[in-house]
Amino acid sequence: MKKKIFQEFDGYNEIIEEIEISRKYGVDYSAHKDSPDQYINRLHPPRLRLRVSEIIEETASTKTLRLVSEDHYLPPFLAGQYIALFLEIGNIRTSRPYSISSPPNQTGHYDITIRRVEGGLVSNYLLDEVEKGDVLESSGPAGHFYHNPLFHDRTMVCLAGGSGITPFMSMVREVVECGLDRTIYLFYGNKDLEDVIFHGQLSAFSERFENIHYLPVIEAPSPGYDGLSGLITGQLIKKTLADLSGKTFCLCGPPGMYDFCIPELEALGVPSRRVRKEVYGAPLNICDSPGWPQEVKAKDVFEVQVKGGSSIKVRADEPLIVAFEKQGVAVPSLCRSGECSMCRVKILSGKVFQPAGALVRKSDRQFGYVHSCVSYPLEDLEVLL
Amino acid sequence: MEAYDAVVIGAGNGGLTASATLAQKGLNVLLLERHNIPGGCATTFCRGRFEFEVALHQLSGMGTPDRPGPLRMLLTDLGVLGDLEFLELSDLFNVMMPDGFRVTLKTDKEQVISELQEKFPHEKEGIQRFFDLSYNYANQMLAAFYFKDPAPSREKYPVLYEYAFKPANEVLDALFSDPVAKAIISAYWGFMGLPPTRLSFAYLAMLYFMYIEFKPFHIKGGSQALSNALANKFLSHGGTARFNCSAKKILVDDGVVRGVITEHGDQIQAKYVISNASQVSTYVQLLDGEHVPNNVLTEMRGRTLSPSAFTMFAGLDCEPADVGITETTNFLVTKADISDGNLDRMWNLDIEDEVVAFSCYDVADADFSPPGTCQLNMVTLKYGEPWLRVPPTEYFRVKYRCAEAMLRRVENFFPAIRKHMEELEVATPLTHMRYLGHPSGAIYGFEHYTKDSMFFQPGRYSPIQGLYFASGWIGDAGFQPTLHAGVAAAKSILRDLGAE
Repeated sequence: MKKKIFQEFDGYNEIIEEIEISRKYGVDYSAHKDSPDQYINRLHPPRLRLRVSEIIEETASTKTLRLVSEDHYLPPFLAGQYIALFLEIGNIRTSRPYSISSPPNQTGHYDITIRRVEGGLVSNYLLDEVEKGDVLESSGPAGHFYHNPLFHDRTMVCLAGGSGITPFMSMVREVVECGLDRTIYLFYGNKDLEDVIFHGQLSAFSERFENIHYLPVIEAPSPGYDGLSGLITGQLIKKTLADLSGKTFCLCGPPGMYDFCIPELEALGVPSRRVRKEVYGAPLNICDSPGWPQEVKAKDVFEVQVKGGSSIKVRADEPLIVAFEKQGVAVPSLCRSGECSMCRVKILSGKVFQPAGALVRKSDRQFGYVHSCVSYPLEDLEVLL
Repeated sequence: MEAYDAVVIGAGNGGLTASATLAQKGLNVLLLERHNIPGGCATTFCRGRFEFEVALHQLSGMGTPDRPGPLRMLLTDLGVLGDLEFLELSDLFNVMMPDGFRVTLKTDKEQVISELQEKFPHEKEGIQRFFDLSYNYANQMLAAFYFKDPAPSREKYPVLYEYAFKPANEVLDALFSDPVAKAIISAYWGFMGLPPTRLSFAYLAMLYFMYIEFKPFHIKGGSQALSNALANKFLSHGGTARFNCSAKKILVDDGVVRGVITEHGDQIQAKYVISNASQVSTYVQLLDGEHVPNNVLTEMRGRTLSPSAFTMFAGLDCEPADVGITETTNFLVTKADISDGNLDRMWNLDIEDEVVAFSCYDVADADFSPPGTCQLNMVTLKYGEPWLRVPPTEYFRVKYRCAEAMLRRVENFFPAIRKHMEELEVATPLTHMRYLGHPSGAIYGFEHYTKDSMFFQPGRYSPIQGLYFASGWIGDAGFQPTLHAGVAAAKSILRDLGAE
C-alpha cells in the first residue's frame, strides 16, 4: 500500500510510539459509565422524592411542610433558593416553586412554608389534602435570589411582603445559626398582625442577635398597635437606617410590593445594581399590566392549536402553561415566573402578551420563542412545543 | 414505533449543522436535546437585564462577503446568513501585564509583525520569521490537504513536512530568547486548551492564519442567535426537535444502527444516528457494551480529557470605557510563563497567577448589553478532575473562594469593576459538566496533542454502521470546527444513501 503523505512527515515514528504508550497506560473510559450524571446529581438532581415528616401550623392561613428525603440525600442549596413541587391534583399535572424556609446548614430536611391563596389550586391542595407521611416529588434547589459574597454588601436590607418572607427566613436562620458576619434589616409588610409568618421566631432572633433587625410593618393595624404601620416607604427605611450607602437591598413579595417599593428606593438614591428582586410567579391581574391591549378582555377566549397535537381554548388572562396543564398537555416548568426558560415554546402564528420583566433571550424573541408561564393569548395561536 | 431517517443526539454546534443539512436535503430528522434550548456551548443565559454569552469569544473562518471564508460559505449553504448579523472585530487580542505592559494586535499580518517588533526590538528577526513560517505552513497545509494535491512531496511542501508534528515551544525557543515575547505570541493557546509546551505548532500557525486572513467576528445576539437560527432553519425544513429530552440508548443490531430510545422511553426507529454527545458517553453509556468493539476502547485509552473552565460572567452598570476597558478580547497575563507550570496551574483547583481571558463584547457591539451597561466574560482553563473531589456541601464555598481570587486578579488590571457590579454569575468545571454532559466538564473534548490530530484518529466514523459523530470530540474543537463537523457527518450519510 502506498504510504500516506503524513507518514513521511518529520516526527511521525515518534508519534506512533507515543500513541502506543498512551494506549498502554491510558484511561479506561468504560469505567466512566454514567459518571458525569452521578457527580452532577449530587448538586443538581433532576428530581427529589420528599416525605412530609411534619406539618407545622404557622398562622391561620399558613403551614410549614417539613420534608425529608426518601433517597437519604438532600442536595445543598444557598439560602434564598427554591424547589419546585411537581403535583397531580385531580387530573391536572402542574408544578409550583416554593422557597426553602429552613437554613442550608439544616441538611436533614427542607422546610417549605405555604400560605393559602384564595382559589389557589396548589396552595389549597397542600394545606388541606397533604398529610404527614405523604411523598412529594420536587426539583433540585434552583433560583438566583441569594447573598452573593463577591459583590453583595455584608449588610442586607430585606423587604418582604406576605409569604415572601420564606427565603429571608432561611437567610436569617443561616446568619444566626452559623454566626456569619452579616447584618440583616428585615422589613416585613403584612395586612394585619395575624398574617405575620414567623413573627415569634423573628422577634426572638432580633432580641438575641444584634446583627438581626426585624421590623414588621402592618398595613392596617388594629387600634392600640404601636409598631411600624402603613406601607414600607422610603421614609420608613430612612428613619431606621440613616446610612444606606453600599448596602444591598433584597425584595421578595407580590408584584404590587415591587411596584411600590422600587420607586421608593430609587427616590432614596439607591442605585439599581444594589437592588435584588426574587421572582414571584405570574402577575395576578395580567390585564392591568402596562402595555396590555385595551381591546382584549380577560374573559376573551382564543383557540390555541398545538402543532401536531390538540386544539385548546384559552382565556386571555390565563398563562399558556396553565391552559396546557388543564388539557393534559405536558410542558416542563420550574420557576413559573418567566426566568428559567424551562417552559419555552415557539409561537408559530398569532400574538401573545408577555409582561415586562420576562427574561427572554434576544434571539428567542427574533424566532418567536416565549416562556409559556408568562405568555397570554391575544389572538388565536399556533404553538410548537 | 416512530420512525425517522436519522436521529441527531444533541443540539450543539455539530448537532445543529448536521440536522439542518440533512433536513435541507429532504431527510426526515429527529433532533434530541437534553436542555430547554439549542446550542450546547453556543448559548446565552439571562440574569436581570443582561443576556450573557456563554462561550463564543471570536468566531473564526467567516471572512468578508467579497472574500468569504469557509464558515461564511457553510452558513450561506445552510441558508441562515440572512438571519444573522456579524461584526468584524478590529483586533486579534490585547495583552495586559501587571507592570503596565500592553500590546494590541490588529488583524493584519504586517501590523501584527510591526506591533510586536516595536515592543520587542531585540526579537525583530524572530518575529518576522515566526509569521512567515506560520503562513508558509498554513499555505502548504491547505495546498496539500484542502485543495487535495494528488502528488504532494517534501520538495513541494518542505515546511509542512518539517513542522506538521513539531511542538510550538520548539519553534518558539528556536526563534526567540525573551520569555515575554514567547508568552505573548502563544497567548492564543487558551483557545485550544494546551499550553505552548504541549501544543502543536501547526495549531498555533493555523489559528493565526485563520484569524488574520478571515478575521475574528462577533455575532449580534451572541452565539445563541446562531444556534437559534440553525434550529429554526432545521424546523422550517420539516425537522422535528425535542428539547428537555435526551437519548438514553442507541439501538444496534448486528453492528448496524436501528434507532434510539429517549429518556422518556420512546423507541425511535432510524437507520442513521449522529452523536453530538461526547464520544465517551456515546460509547460507554448510549451503546451497550456488547456492540462496542474492543479496539474502540483501546483507541480511547490513549486519549485524555481536555481542561474545563472556570468562568465568571459580570454585568456592570457602566460603559466599558468608564472602567478602563478599551478592547474586546484581552489576555490578562500575571506571569509570562510558557513552561509546564501552565499545566500545573490548570490542575490546581485554586486560582493564583493564571492567564485570564477577559472579553467585553460591548466594546465592539454597543447593543450587546442594555444602554449604559456592559458585560464581561472572564475565563481561565481548569481541569475538571480536582472539582470532582469537592464534597457537595463544600461546593458553594469553594466556588466563591475561587471566584474571589479570580476577581482580585482582574481588579489588578481594572480596579473599578466591583463598584459597578450589577450581576455576577460563576460557572465552575462542574457547571460545564452539568450543561454539556462531558466527563470532567471537558470543554474541548479530548485533548489536542499532535497524536490526537485528524491524521491519527477515526474522526466522524464509528465501527457501527449508520453511527457518525459530530462534535469537538472527534477533531478540532471550537465553533468553526464543530460547525463544519456537523456538515461533514451529514454528508457522510448523504453519500451513503447515494451509494445505495
